[in-house]
Amino acid sequence: MIDPVPVALLALVLACALATAVLRDVLAAIIAFAAYSLGIAMIWVLLEAPDVGLTEAAVGAGVTTILFLVTITKTVRPPSEAIFESLDPKGLLVAVLIAGVLASTLGALPPVGSAETPVAQSEVTDYYLDNAYEQTEVKNAVTAVLAAYRGFDTMGEAVVVFAAGVGLLVVLGREVFA
Amino acid sequence: MSTPESEPVTSEDGDTGDSDRTLYVESPIIMGTVRVVAPFVFTFGLFIMFHGADSAGGGFQGGVIVSTVILMLAVAFGVESTRDWVTPERLVAIVGVGVSVVLLLGIGTVALGGSFLEYDVVPIDHFNKYGIELFEIGIGVIVSGIVAGLFFGLAAGASGDQRNDRDADEREGLL
Repeated sequence: MIDPVPVALLALVLACALATAVLRDVLAAIIAFAAYSLGIAMIWVLLEAPDVGLTEAAVGAGVTTILFLVTITKTVRPPSEAIFESLDPKGLLVAVLIAGVLASTLGALPPVGSAETPVAQSEVTDYYLDNAYEQTEVKNAVTAVLAAYRGFDTMGEAVVVFAAGVGLLVVLGREVFA
Repeated sequence: MSTPESEPVTSEDGDTGDSDRTLYVESPIIMGTVRVVAPFVFTFGLFIMFHGADSAGGGFQGGVIVSTVILMLAVAFGVESTRDWVTPERLVAIVGVGVSVVLLLGIGTVALGGSFLEYDVVPIDHFNKYGIELFEIGIGVIVSGIVAGLFFGLAAGASGDQRNDRDADEREGLL
């Protein structure tokens, strides 16, 4: 028996992805892209990764959409009645080929929630789950890994975000975000 | 928290055509919605940031959600007035504070004789927990500041606001 919820979500994500690609109006494509991110976020929650789902919902569906909207305010709508973009056969071929190559690896993936996956069998995972609370005193093992066990990584990520902002300022030739 | 006080910036030439769309449209629906929703989103963002140690979430997610409040205010009340309310200098300072907190925590534990981020060496009870919280808050401050900054940076280009543009010579010097 196939669970209808993931199937419906996957259909939504697929439909939104296709709509993003083929819609002629950029505004419509951006909104379809936001809906795609929302669908992906719900899939993360279904896969019991709420931390990732939160990120996807906030960044993908929220901030990115607004940044895109700000970006297109300088553009003009092409005076055309067509709803869909005419498809470029060469581009379509490349896209189908890439999707085909990626899909060919699907068979190698373990089933969702399988106990046989390398992550579930790894000694490191067991160590984190057994000791995270005693050693770090936080109940969310994900946070324990991010902010304590692998904190050097996380500090690097935070500095990368900082560097992105500095990079923007350098490109704009300004000292403040204005 | 209060909303930006200055008057929203309206498009000067009134009804504009498609070719001259301005960034900001004054809409009572958007303004009303943002007025109601913003405090809740802000609280939720802070909750995600502070409570990330014990439930789903953390500094990154919370920071992004907090910054969406600024983005919402900008969409509802005008980018320029929101930017002046936040003040761009303060934004840069906040991000700097966030980076300093994260670096201090990491290197501070080394200075106290432990290894990197070994919270135990700090002579404060339960500093493991508080240290992680502080680390998360530092990340949240960086992320929210940078996301809001990226938005203001992009919007400044989109609204055609040239008053902060430097001349070409000065820009070359910076690069």
